[in-house]
Amino acid sequence: MSVSAKIGRTLVHSRRRISDEAFITLLVASVAVGLFLIASIVVPNFFQLLNMLNLVTNNWAVISLGVGVTFLLVSGNFDLSVGGILALSGVLAVWFSQSTDGHNALSTGLGMPYWLAVLCALGGALAIGGLNALFVVRLRIPSIIVTLGTMMLARGIAQVVTQGSQRNTNLPDAFGMLGNMSMFGTSLKLPVVLMVILLVIAIFIEKKTVFGRLTFWIGTNPVAAHLSGIDKSKHVTYLYLFSAVIAGVVGILLASEFKSGYSNRGTLMEFDALVIALLGGVAIAGGFGSVVGMFFGAIILAIVTSAATGLVLSPDWQYVLKAIAVFLAIIIQTWALARRNR
Amino acid sequence: MMSQSSTLDQPSATRDNRITQFLRSYYIYFVLVAVVVLLSMANLDKFDLFERGNFLNHRNIINVLRVSAPLLTLAGAFTLLMVSGYIDLSVGSTMGLSAVVYAMLAINGVPFLAAFALTMVVGAGLGAINGLLVVRLKITPVIATLITLSLFKGVALLLVQDGVSAIKSGGGLKIPSWFNSYGREGTLLGLPMAFWVAVVVTLVLVIAQNRTLLGKYAAATGGNPTAAKLSGINTGKIVMLLYVIVGVSAALAGIARSSFMSLGDPLSGDGMELSAILVVLIGGTAFSGGEGRVLRSFIGALIIMALTVGMLTIIPAYYQTLVLGAALLAAAASNHLISRKETAL
Repeated sequence: MSVSAKIGRTLVHSRRRISDEAFITLLVASVAVGLFLIASIVVPNFFQLLNMLNLVTNNWAVISLGVGVTFLLVSGNFDLSVGGILALSGVLAVWFSQSTDGHNALSTGLGMPYWLAVLCALGGALAIGGLNALFVVRLRIPSIIVTLGTMMLARGIAQVVTQGSQRNTNLPDAFGMLGNMSMFGTSLKLPVVLMVILLVIAIFIEKKTVFGRLTFWIGTNPVAAHLSGIDKSKHVTYLYLFSAVIAGVVGILLASEFKSGYSNRGTLMEFDALVIALLGGVAIAGGFGSVVGMFFGAIILAIVTSAATGLVLSPDWQYVLKAIAVFLAIIIQTWALARRNR
Repeated sequence: MMSQSSTLDQPSATRDNRITQFLRSYYIYFVLVAVVVLLSMANLDKFDLFERGNFLNHRNIINVLRVSAPLLTLAGAFTLLMVSGYIDLSVGSTMGLSAVVYAMLAINGVPFLAAFALTMVVGAGLGAINGLLVVRLKITPVIATLITLSLFKGVALLLVQDGVSAIKSGGGLKIPSWFNSYGREGTLLGLPMAFWVAVVVTLVLVIAQNRTLLGKYAAATGGNPTAAKLSGINTGKIVMLLYVIVGVSAALAGIARSSFMSLGDPLSGDGMELSAILVVLIGGTAFSGGEGRVLRSFIGALIIMALTVGMLTIIPAYYQTLVLGAALLAAAASNHLISRKETAL
C-alpha cells in the first residue's frame, strides 16, 4: 500500500470514528445506565423518579469538588486537599460570623457581617490553593505529596479553630439561608442548582475555550506545551486556585446547610472526588478525560452505594464495593482503549 | 553556568560540598536532639529534668518508644519502596486488617507464635496483591494502592461483626492473657518485644540496603527505570518483592498496635500512610526515587513520635494535624532545597 493511500485511509477512518474521549464517556454513561437497570431489578423500590433525582442531588458536594479535581488531573496534577479546604472554609465562615459576645471560646467569633465572613472564608480557601500552586509550580514537588500536606494543614487549622469539635452557636439568622434555600418553588436546593451551573460552565470551558484545550495540551505533553510557549506555571496555578475556590464555596454551603462549622466534615471526600474522576475515565497520567465522564462516574458510585444500602448490606460493604468499582473501571477502560486503537 | 563558577573556585566549592554532604547525612540526628531538648525544656519550670512529668523521665521515654513501635517497624520498608520510585497508600489498611486477623486468631485459641506467623503471611499476601496490581496489571501505584486501601479496610470492617467496633473479649470468647505482653511488657531495657522487633527489622533492612543487591537494584529502579531494565535488572521482580516486604512490615506494625491496645481494631492503622510518607520525607528520601536511607527514616520516625507524644503535654491535642501537616510541607520544601543545592554544586 502506498503511503498516500495509507494516509487517505486513516483520514477516512478518523472521520468515521468518534474520538477516544467521546468513546470513553459513552462507555461510562452506558455502564451507569446499565448499573441503574440492574439495580432496579435487584433492589426493591429502586426504579423511581425521586430516586434517580436523589442520585444527583445527594452528591452535589462531591460532584462540584470533582470539577476542580478533574481539570487538575487532566493537566497532570493531583488535588487531595479539597476535603481539607472544604472543612476549613466552613469553619472559618462560622467563626468569622459568630457574634463576639459568646459565653465560651467556641461560641465567640469575630462578629463580621455574613457576606464579609463568606468572603474572608473564601480567602482562606484561596490561600491553601495558592500554597498548593506555590509548592507544585515553583518548587516542583510532586503534587500528591504537596496536597496531602495541605490537606492536613487545612484540616489542622480547622481543628484548631474549633478546638477539635465544632462551632454552631451564636450565629446570625442569615447564616442558614444559602445552604437551605429552595429554588423555583420546588424542593430543589440552591447548592444543587449551583452545581448544575458549575457543570455547564466547566463543560463550556473544557470544550470551547482556549483555556480548556490548553489544559489538555499541558497534561498530554508538558514539555511540548512549554516549548510552544505556553505558560504552564500560570495555568496550573489558576487551576489550583479554581479548585480551592470551588471547595471553599462547597464548604461554606455545607456549613450553612447544617448551621455548623465542623472540623472533620468532608473527611475522605478528596478520595471520593478522585475516585469519581477515575471512574469517569479521567487518566491519572493527565491529558485525557472529561467533566461529563466525571459526572457519570459520580452516578456510578452513587448507584453502587445506594444499591448496597437498598439491599440492607452493612455500610462496611461500601469500601469493598468502591474498590471493586474503581478496579473494574480502570481495567475495562484500559482494555477498551487498547482494543480500539489496536 | 554553576559548574563553571565552581571549577574556578575549586577549594571552597569542595568544602561547601563537604559541608552539604555532612548536613545531608547527619542533619536528622541534630533534629532529633533538638526536638528532645525542646520537649524536655518545656516543663522544666514545674518538674526536674528526669522527674516524672518531664519528657526525659525514663518511664516516659519507654512509653514513647513503646507507642512508636508500629511506625518504627514500617519506616524502613516504606523507605526502600519509595527509593525504588513507588508508593503504598494502603499500609494503614493493611495494618488494620492484620490487627483484626491477629486478634481473631488469638481469640480463637491459636497460640502466640502461630498467630504471629500467620498474620505475617497474610501481610505478605496483601503486599503481593499490591505488587500484582502495579507490576502485572500496570495500574499507577497511587491508584492501585488507593483501591487496596479501600478494599483491605472494607474486608477488615466486614470481619468484625455488626454492632461491635473491634475484635475484643465478649460473647464467650476472651482475648488471651499473653495478648498484650508483646506490645507492652518490658523485656530488655524495659522495652517490649514489639520495639525490639522494629529494631531488628530496621537492622535487616539497613543491611539489605547497604550490603545486598536488593538495595542497589531498588535505587537503580528508582533512579532510572529504563536504564535499570536495560542493564538486565528484573525491575518487576524487585518492585513485587518490595511490596511484599512493605506488606509484612505493615502486618508487624498491625500486630504491635493490636497488642498494645489489646484489641483488633480495623481502623487502627488509619492515617498511617501519611505518617509513613512524612517520616520518609523527613529522613531525606527523594520522592522521585533513587535516593534514601532506611536508618534516616527510622530516626525520622523517632522524631515524629517524640513530637506527637511530647507535644500533648504542651499544647492541646487538636493542634496535632496542623503540626504534622506543616512538618510534611516543611520536610518536602527542605528536601527540595537541599537537593537543588547539590545539583547546583
